[in-house]
Amino acid sequence: MDFPFVREAVKNLFSRSSCDMYPLKPSEAAEQYRGRIEYDPSKCINCHFCERVCAGGAISVVEVPVEEGTQITRTFDLSTCTFCNTCADFCNTHAIKLTKDYHMIGLKEGDLLVSGTFVKVAKKKPAPPPAEAKPEEKAAPAIKPRDDGKPVQDPSKCVYCGICAKKCLGEALTVDRKEKLWKLDEDKCVSCGTCEEVCPKKAIIM
Amino acid sequence: MFKNLITESTAKSPWLFHINSGSCNGCDIELVAVLTPRYDAERFGFKLAGSPRHADIVVVSGPLTQQSLPRTLRAISQVPEPRCIVTIGSCPQSGNVFKGSYSVMAPLSKYVHVDVAVAGCTPKPEAIMDGLVQATEILKEKRKAWLEAKKNGLKDGPKAETEQEVPAAEDVPASGEEVQQ
Ligand code: SF4
Ligand code: SF4
Ligand code: SF4
Ligand code: SF4
Repeated sequence: MDFPFVREAVKNLFSRSSCDMYPLKPSEAAEQYRGRIEYDPSKCINCHFCERVCAGGAISVVEVPVEEGTQITRTFDLSTCTFCNTCADFCNTHAIKLTKDYHMIGLKEGDLLVSGTFVKVAKKKPAPPPAEAKPEEKAAPAIKPRDDGKPVQDPSKCVYCGICAKKCLGEALTVDRKEKLWKLDEDKCVSCGTCEEVCPKKAIIM
Repeated sequence: MFKNLITESTAKSPWLFHINSGSCNGCDIELVAVLTPRYDAERFGFKLAGSPRHADIVVVSGPLTQQSLPRTLRAISQVPEPRCIVTIGSCPQSGNVFKGSYSVMAPLSKYVHVDVAVAGCTPKPEAIMDGLVQATEILKEKRKAWLEAKKNGLKDGPKAETEQEVPAAEDVPASGEEVQQ
């Protein structure tokens, strides 16, 4: 009689287990794994780009007016998130990061089920002082960046294509091709830098 | 005495029943990975049961499509109490990117009490394992409460306030009109 498996069985009896022994031995996620979201409110400028691009609608914002401006609470709902990293990719100020932490377990309804979800931090935005800081009119012949971080246009380079106005999330820009007009609404602009990035002529300086 | 032996042994071998309610297969594959030799969840006594009536822990993946919701609920109601319901992935918790679709009925917590929710899309096998280990802890508590209740003559066990009745499959709305974005 032939027992082809006996050798195998005996061999396996003495060989090492292939088990990772996970909870005993902590295991690290692979490089570039996209896990728990980390949100740095101190970097956020509230441009709302992340909410716009989020496929799952996982990001919500609560804005409460307080004395010194608006208190903005941005919440990432990890139970709705697909961990696509799009929000982090689009965030110009790198306020969002998907970490390698994969321990995301919600145990209870309410706060702890929100811990399968996840809440982070309120941001206190100073009242719009930049409104006052506009003595420097844009018509200066030598283009230099403004000190309040808002965009300036270089009329010699600009072709009035209107791309920046289309991409501006706050609808702060008006571009008129016929009139050769490039106008910035300072109150709406949040200095996100999107216009500078998209300008094909590099005509915007920030 | 014999009963005690049974209770003690069952505590160490919580059997899983896996329901795929329209999942993309990502979560299912990770759950299978948990049972492979590499992660080896059988160390904790986890084992896939073939029938809901043999299971202690129900693992639900997928966004609860309209077709699968009544079946999911029926299967869940067949799992004997005390049971523990674990959702894996974002789908059963919220509908994930599919939410707002006319045929997606998530979240599961609208219909039954969910004990453990493992987030991720897909969760890593390690995360699922964490969730299942948590579920056994919860199961132990529930068992204790049940034994207590049985001693006090309550046949149907304790009804915790959080515990919802599983709605009968027919009572479940037939279309997605209830689902709001
Ligand atoms: S994209 Fe970044 S900077 Fe803009 S609102 Fe979101 S987190 Fe804030
Ligand atoms: S990772 Fe994707 S789904 Fe998750 S919050 Fe960011 S954009 Fe939304
Ligand atoms: S003008 Fe430019 S910097 Fe300001 S909000 Fe629009 S895109 Fe952003
Ligand atoms: S949570 Fe993600 S991986 Fe899991 S079933 Fe849903 S879409 Fe698929």
